[in-house]
Amino acid sequence: MPKHELVLLKNMMQPGYTGSLTDYEKTGGYQALRNTLGKIGPSDVTTMVRQSGLRGRGGAGFPTGVKWGFLPKDYQGPRYLCCNADESEPGTFKDRQLMERDPHQVLEGIVLACYAIGAETAYIYIRGEMVLGSRILEQAIGEARAAGYIGKNILGTGINADVWVHRGAGAYICGEETALLESLEGKRGLPRIKPPFPATHGLYNKPTVVNNVETLANLPHIIKRGPEWFAAIGSPPKSTGTRVFCVSGHVKRPGNYEVPMGVTVRELVYEHAGGMRSDKPIKAFIPGGASAPFLTPAHLDVKLDFEHVAAAGSMLGSGGVTVMEEGTSMVWAALRLMEFFYHESCGKCTPCREGSSWLVQTLRRILAKRGRMEDLETLSDLCKNIAGRTVCAFGDAEVAPIQSTLNHWRQEYVDLINEAEAANLIRPEPVGVRR
Amino acid sequence: MADTATQTVRITIDGMTVHVPKGTLVIEAARRVGVMIPHFCYHPKLKPDANCRMCLVEIEKMPKLQTACSTPADEGMNIRTATTVVDDAHKSVLEFILANHPLDCPVCDQGGKCDLQDFSHQYTASSRFVETKRIFQKEYFSPLIETQMNRCVQCLRCVRYCDEVMDVKALAPVGRGTMTEIKYFGAHPLNCEFCGGCVQICPVGAITSRLSMYEYRPWMLKRADTICGYCGDGCQITVQTKGQELIEVNSAHGAGRNNGDLCARGFFGFHAAVHPDRLTHPLIRRDDVLVRATWEEALEYVAARVGEIKAAHGGQSFGGLISGRCTNEELYLFQKFMRLVLGTNNIDSSARYGHVNGLHAMQLVQGTHRWTVTFDDILDADVLILVGTNITETNPITGLKVKEAVKKRRATLVTIESLEPVVDTISNIANLSQHHFCLPPSEMQNAILGLVKGVVEQNLIQPELAQRHPAYVNAIRSALQQISWQDLQAATGTGPNSFMRAAKVAAGAGRVVILAGQLLLRSEHGYSGCVTLLDLLLLTGKLDQPGCGFAPLAEENNDQGAVEMGTVTEFLPGAGHIANSTDRERIAKHWKAELPTHRGASLIEMLKRANEGSLKAMFIVGENPVGSLPATIRAEQSLRHLDLLVCQELFLTETAALAHVVLPAASSMEKQGTFTNTEGHVQAVRPSIEPVGESRPDWEVFSALSILLNSPMEYAESKDILKEIRGLIPGYGSLGPTPSAQKVDRTAIDRYLAEGYQRDLVTRYRLVKPKSRPDGTLRLDLGQSLFHSGKLSTRSKGLLQVEGSGRLRISPPDAARFALSDGDRVRLSSTSGEMTTEVKIMERIPQGTAWFPYHFGQTAVQLFECAIDPTTQAPSFRTATVSIMKVA
Amino acid sequence: MLIDKYKDEITEILSRYPVKRSALIPLLYVAQRDQGYVSESVMQEIAHLLRLTPPQVYETITFYTMFNLKPMGKFHIQVCKSLMCALVGSDTVIEWIRAKLGIAPGESTVDGLFSFSLVECLAACGTGPMMQINDDYYEQLTEDKLDRILADLRSTGTSRLKSGPFMWPEPVNVKR
Ligand SMILES: Cc1cc2nc3c(=O)[nH]c(=O)nc-3n(C[C@H](O)[C@H](O)[C@H](O)COP(=O)(O)O)c2cc1C
Ligand code: SF4
Ligand code: FES
Repeated sequence: MPKHELVLLKNMMQPGYTGSLTDYEKTGGYQALRNTLGKIGPSDVTTMVRQSGLRGRGGAGFPTGVKWGFLPKDYQGPRYLCCNADESEPGTFKDRQLMERDPHQVLEGIVLACYAIGAETAYIYIRGEMVLGSRILEQAIGEARAAGYIGKNILGTGINADVWVHRGAGAYICGEETALLESLEGKRGLPRIKPPFPATHGLYNKPTVVNNVETLANLPHIIKRGPEWFAAIGSPPKSTGTRVFCVSGHVKRPGNYEVPMGVTVRELVYEHAGGMRSDKPIKAFIPGGASAPFLTPAHLDVKLDFEHVAAAGSMLGSGGVTVMEEGTSMVWAALRLMEFFYHESCGKCTPCREGSSWLVQTLRRILAKRGRMEDLETLSDLCKNIAGRTVCAFGDAEVAPIQSTLNHWRQEYVDLINEAEAANLIRPEPVGVRR
Repeated sequence: MADTATQTVRITIDGMTVHVPKGTLVIEAARRVGVMIPHFCYHPKLKPDANCRMCLVEIEKMPKLQTACSTPADEGMNIRTATTVVDDAHKSVLEFILANHPLDCPVCDQGGKCDLQDFSHQYTASSRFVETKRIFQKEYFSPLIETQMNRCVQCLRCVRYCDEVMDVKALAPVGRGTMTEIKYFGAHPLNCEFCGGCVQICPVGAITSRLSMYEYRPWMLKRADTICGYCGDGCQITVQTKGQELIEVNSAHGAGRNNGDLCARGFFGFHAAVHPDRLTHPLIRRDDVLVRATWEEALEYVAARVGEIKAAHGGQSFGGLISGRCTNEELYLFQKFMRLVLGTNNIDSSARYGHVNGLHAMQLVQGTHRWTVTFDDILDADVLILVGTNITETNPITGLKVKEAVKKRRATLVTIESLEPVVDTISNIANLSQHHFCLPPSEMQNAILGLVKGVVEQNLIQPELAQRHPAYVNAIRSALQQISWQDLQAATGTGPNSFMRAAKVAAGAGRVVILAGQLLLRSEHGYSGCVTLLDLLLLTGKLDQPGCGFAPLAEENNDQGAVEMGTVTEFLPGAGHIANSTDRERIAKHWKAELPTHRGASLIEMLKRANEGSLKAMFIVGENPVGSLPATIRAEQSLRHLDLLVCQELFLTETAALAHVVLPAASSMEKQGTFTNTEGHVQAVRPSIEPVGESRPDWEVFSALSILLNSPMEYAESKDILKEIRGLIPGYGSLGPTPSAQKVDRTAIDRYLAEGYQRDLVTRYRLVKPKSRPDGTLRLDLGQSLFHSGKLSTRSKGLLQVEGSGRLRISPPDAARFALSDGDRVRLSSTSGEMTTEVKIMERIPQGTAWFPYHFGQTAVQLFECAIDPTTQAPSFRTATVSIMKVA
Repeated sequence: MLIDKYKDEITEILSRYPVKRSALIPLLYVAQRDQGYVSESVMQEIAHLLRLTPPQVYETITFYTMFNLKPMGKFHIQVCKSLMCALVGSDTVIEWIRAKLGIAPGESTVDGLFSFSLVECLAACGTGPMMQINDDYYEQLTEDKLDRILADLRSTGTSRLKSGPFMWPEPVNVKR
């Protein structure tokens, strides 16, 4: 018996479950849709979602029902729903599983959200690399359309909701909601300045909601079992429901584990992921994807919910938990992530663009034992000058690894530099041209 | 644009309180109280992009620093721009920018006018960056514009300008992150409108002009603010010189009617004035060759010959032709010279070629000789109707006003143009149009009739007008009944619904401006088209409404001045009519002399008389009838008959080569005066360099000759002439920043409604039969290219790099039909002549039509026939039927 | 011309969006599927189809990493080098491939069979080290598995070792 009741992964855990429409319907799939369309008013659906306490699973954790409430009430033209399936945050691989294994659960959530916000068109923006995922979704859409769950006049209710899969093409930034919209409009994926927010000026400048795959997948369950049921799971009142945590790194059994919010990292790692692979102690972990600051063994009993992780100085983010064992170089780990951010910075904002290249080069130099003590101050200055000074949250994200490793493992930097000073090898190294 | 009273808000900036309209950006509000917030990516013409992060400020109650360039002012905002936090933020952004910026200021053309350099000094910024700088390979970007991407600060102002303002979209930020660079398409050299906007708007030295590379630092140059001498838009330019050398032209944001925007001609065309072929000395024909002479000899020679001819044949034996490129002062003095000193009304100018059609129409219907709207009314219009403008190429800056109205202010655009709406390397106004009617110039009248029919049949006629002038309305109604929708559809290829919809949009709008361009004005139906467009405004009750009006576009920089100065035979200064005794007497009183009263001859008539022998002598100033008129007019033959031909010219043109005396004229870069732009704005022309060689401003010649001919018109400088003009013509008083539009004359409207319309209503309200063309032939139109203006620009080395020769533009289907590819040579032949040229396939050209730039048209004009408008005497020779054959 | 070859597919793609430009990336995929890369002439054709200028297509295509602007090997091997895969041995995988194919990242084999690139996180961090070859993911790589994959590709053009619909841990492993 699983210790916790599974919600999102429940179907797929059944042996032989294929994710087909028939399988999904057998488990009670699309009942929520049948019981809602034309029976519960759209604003009542929004109210239920608000009452459930569901918060976005994409990273920022914004309350979903509240976000929907920002759409203009009296606006006559088209509205759009975008399902954020860009899943590019290093350490995160849950949306891929939700889409490839139980696509109808996501689709039902999408149609319910369309109904609630009055959108007749939804686009699933899936990262380009997930070719299989996009095929599975398209096939599922075909099935659902044939069965009358998607398209014009759904289930004879007169309600329309068309769903299209739109593939990205390799750009992490397109997970950021406004960059996603730009990309969906066929442009470079550069984040837009906010305000105005997508709720009023989104896709094609029309009112738009962007929600993560996992967020949407929760909707059928909330509707079916009621907001109170959902609100009782996890760490109410602010972090309700389950979370699919993606555990990676030096654990025995990495993978996706769905648990109520509020379990500790210790439980996740030692009870679910089978402990550490070589039984070395944990040296560091990231609780919410590459954008979340590193935490230390001292934080192993921090509850994995929005508030507690934030209080510990990191963030729950996308739910990607990466665990590193004793012996891992933190400067190296920070550099690996920094290289990712350097590669993915869209280049719009000066601090993010120039800062990422600068930080990467400096880290490489330190790691190559050509660092200088001043570099440490420069590093932390640069981080300070990037965070909070950019259009989107990428700027805050990219400094997280350096700031947190400098904060918790400064001595590792110092040691490398001391070796450098000893060898007197201070020389810059070219960063090299990408691609 | 509904002018709902804009709400104002009170904000505090560094302790200073300021009231601004709600929504004003903080950066602009700060500017008002003299606080300059540093920035790179912000530009008032562009939508905020907030990418450089330089303009961060503190706003009370907001946790993070905010970008002043994208934050709108809101009631009670308290903004601080000078705290340590803000200062540190600015320094840090500079440090980031400098990280990858090369330290090549000493060899950078932007040195001395670079925002990055300035801010770096201001903040004594430095960078702790010790890593390797990003390096871009140098690439050949284009013959006129160079990029140095290592210097780029990625503000994207160039890209945004090219898209938002120009609608060209030629610049692409390529790649991602720090490695983003501005390119065109792959490794292809830039191909665009070459407006120079990217060069002007780049805050650093990343995009520079190749025409003025590595020459001088800004502080070593002398500047003159003057007016571009090419088209009727009348852009203000700043010409930078070093001695007699022309270094660079640009236009500051906020300057002139162009508000700092320029086109390729203005930005890259400035070298025409210093072309080595400029005439530098007077020439006199001796033993049938032109030989160098002194000014004294030349003027005395002319005066002596004039004296003889006048004594023998009288004033009527003289004729004068002057270019609409001369200053108002010169134009004015020329006609005064012709009328007073020589005693003739035989005067004409380049305005005859088309501009007079619009003016006569306006005079007839609304009693004005000017627009009743300004550029600002174009910006504010709800509906814009463009007829035969090809505005991007002919009047590019007026085109920008149209683009802004449509793109930023949501005006509805109706176009009757000879353009396919396709995306191309230069912008295409038809792409912005909601109601587009694609027709060849000579058939545009049919679409105009379609619109009027749409108005009449949907009962969109202003009720009061129908009541007060039933005869007029009924005449139009019944004339239109004769035109069936079927016939109209057959003639235009467009069904009734499109006309009905466009008519409804126009009639239902508050502010409607109609722009008529050279394609219409210079066509056979130029005049009647204009009158019918004015009917459209009248019928819908717009003609006398504020913000509404009819605006014929002038092709040459001072065509409008040419008419207002009285250099077309029928008009006196101020556009009073020569046949009107009150107008004549008013001028006579000012001049303290009698005016000749005979009806003067217009251009074509003068040539005819010369050929017949009754016209003995001509003064031709800056015009080239031999090179511009079709063979059937036989201009050369006519001019060869003359006893005396005096040409004042910059270059030895085909016409000047026939002259007895050639006098070198100073170009507009070398003289003082005024030009009147297409919207009727009088603007000051100032010299940038000394006259080339011994050339002189044209007015000095008229003045000198008048003295030798004993009817002295003496002026110390051109300003004195302007003073005289001011006394005679309203609108020439102040040369302020905004023009005053004329008001419609209601008595003139009433006169038109009562009887004026009758004269030609029947002929106007008749479908123009599309000319049937035998198989294997094309319709050939002569047109205006964006990269040239008249023939003057073909002396400009910059523009020749973009378009070095005339190429026949044909549509892809026609290219396929005649098995032609780009660059193939073809022979064109018509009943009147033939020529060979290269083809250039362009998708915007409608099928069945070919198009040749008249700037290179010396041989092309031979293919055309000429039709003369019976009312306005405008010669039209822009359309011909040609067969086309590929040659080796 | 792309439009002649894939008329129905292109029409269908265009029908999904109220604004044409949105079809840009989908159409670029059609082009890349056709030729393995996107040529300039195809970019021009797509620009024309969507009423864009070629630079507008170019700025978009160069922003994304998945489009090839020049011909690639028949199999494009992309190994994830991000932290999570690196923690479980992606560097070794990179070395193996370098040794087995004799090419460094950014290069292609002379027979035109393989191109090799390093990429950032592909959302398979729990099953690293991993790589993507053309459309398919290959996860939990070992040296032995890699050999079999390369051999399969050489002989049959595909490999059964590619990932199916993703789930990890698999239900059979779950005995809780
Ligand atoms: C740089 C950046 C990358 C992001 N990537 C993703 C992503 O891959 N998937 C996702 O769902 N949200 C991502 N987000 C969060 C989205 O911006 C947005 O908050 C989310 O899609 C909203 O959905 P939710 O409210 O359901 O979480 C990203 C945000 C940032 C700043
Ligand atoms: S080229 Fe100049 S204007 Fe264009 S983005 Fe770079 S710095 Fe800005
Ligand atoms: S793009 Fe948003 S911070 Fe760089």
